[in-house]
Amino acid sequence: MSAKLQNKLLDGFTYAALVVCALIFLLPILWIIRTSFTTKVVAYQIPPQWFVRPTMDNYKAIFSDNPFGRYFLNSFGISLISTLIAVFIGAMAAFWIARRTAGGNFLRIAILGTQMLPPIVMVIPIFMVIKKLGLMDSWFSLIVTYLSFSLPYMIWLLIGFFETIPKDLDEACEMDGCTKMQAFTRVVLPLAAPGIMAAGILSFLMAWNEFLFALVLTGTGSRTLPVAIANMETQQGVMIAQLCAATVIIILPVIVLSLFIQKYLVNGMTMGSVK
Amino acid sequence: MLSQKRKQFLIFFVPSVLLLLLTVVYPLLYSLVMSFTSSSLKIKGMGSFIGFDNYIRVFKDAYFLKSAWTTVIFTVIVVTLEFLFGLIVAILLNRITYGKKVFFTIIIVPMLITPVAVGLIWRLLLHPDLGIINYMLSLVGIEGQAWLGDAKWAMITVVLVDIWHQVPFMILLLLAGLVSLPVEPYEAAEIDGANRLQTFWNVTLPLMKATIVVAVLFRVITAFKTYDLIYVLTKGGPGTTTEVISYHIYKQAYTFLDTGYASALSYVLLLVVLMLSAVFVKVSRGKA
Repeated sequence: MSAKLQNKLLDGFTYAALVVCALIFLLPILWIIRTSFTTKVVAYQIPPQWFVRPTMDNYKAIFSDNPFGRYFLNSFGISLISTLIAVFIGAMAAFWIARRTAGGNFLRIAILGTQMLPPIVMVIPIFMVIKKLGLMDSWFSLIVTYLSFSLPYMIWLLIGFFETIPKDLDEACEMDGCTKMQAFTRVVLPLAAPGIMAAGILSFLMAWNEFLFALVLTGTGSRTLPVAIANMETQQGVMIAQLCAATVIIILPVIVLSLFIQKYLVNGMTMGSVK
Repeated sequence: MLSQKRKQFLIFFVPSVLLLLLTVVYPLLYSLVMSFTSSSLKIKGMGSFIGFDNYIRVFKDAYFLKSAWTTVIFTVIVVTLEFLFGLIVAILLNRITYGKKVFFTIIIVPMLITPVAVGLIWRLLLHPDLGIINYMLSLVGIEGQAWLGDAKWAMITVVLVDIWHQVPFMILLLLAGLVSLPVEPYEAAEIDGANRLQTFWNVTLPLMKATIVVAVLFRVITAFKTYDLIYVLTKGGPGTTTEVISYHIYKQAYTFLDTGYASALSYVLLLVVLMLSAVFVKVSRGKA
């Protein structure tokens, strides 16, 4: 009886603690969302006004006063193109490595190693080369640069997915006379499609959130959202309400996309290091 | 006529290798060469070869040594706290049956946000005059601080923001470990009449050891590379109180335009991170 009561108490405590914890994570974000819908005056008020009439002015303002639409497009286009390249090229390499016995280990470690490289190490030489080639502030240079982390990331994730697909399936296809490429596109790819989709989203998010390369390699033409919002603050003092609106815009796609891949999130974000 | 195997190698594998040579290996080599020169953004061309001068300078550079120390302190504190907090939340999440998914979804949100946005969110909340945090504190009679502008508080504040941002990651990893634990040892412990604390200490922790080591090492590596959050929150300031290695290197290259020296510094960082990574690979593969 007392053990049961103890359990009940513990359950109550567990839920209470989790609610507090969830609030700590959620409230700051909710506050930013709230502020993004307030007028300039209300945004600055301390003590804050708790109930405000929502206005869309800040969202309208950032898209008309700032070339925010263009930054959004830059972020979206650059992330999408580099991800697509990484998916196509990476999937083939991952398949090749996954079906290999000799030398596979070394390749895997080399690929994992690239993920450990500090971005600051890479950014200086890449900056020098791109400057020399006269390719500063272009989509091209960011897309290629992003491949330096998204391609190995993709290969690493997809090796894992392809390994879960029984070898017998594509080998049977090859026995029946199809080429390795046909076995790959007709047998393995359809089976791995959900995993590839998830890996693609993860890689897209990584590029979408990337800051340092974009900071160094872009000017006003190809500037991406993270750089744009980091600059907003310094350029215009603290435009609280607009800054909040911009922050919501950069966060929103990430949260929506992540809902689709919850199942893969743990593995994806940890490079599959915990099985 | 190419053999079948060779053709497969060319089609499947070579494109990736070429791209990685171009985007990863070439920049790394370029940087290595640069680290032995007096390369600078102030002059045209590569600068002249100066041997190990840059590397000798690294170890005499008091500011660098201080930033290295700051990075170590930062890493040790955030990883320790994130681990402890993450373990507690993971255990709580593993206990409950209802609402698991809802909590899980809420808790992982901060991790997904770009560090730049995390930094901006907290800058606004922590603003000395206009921020909600100081106002809330004033309601309960605590005097607010200039959190990020005060040398006494800046590091603590950065640590707290980093915890908010990264603890979800730790929770995810540790929860994944907890979920996959076998049931039998727990049944045995119950038969032996072990209480909760004993079970945790003698069953859960030993079984989780490998997961814990992997999670902690992974975070150590990422914490060591922290850059974005510092850039947005403090730019290394006030003074150099929160200047971590990555930010220090950035300053050498883009404020002082000293790319040769910055490359040498980045190679020192690279070496440390690769050593940590080697341990990580060894541990995480040994487990599988």
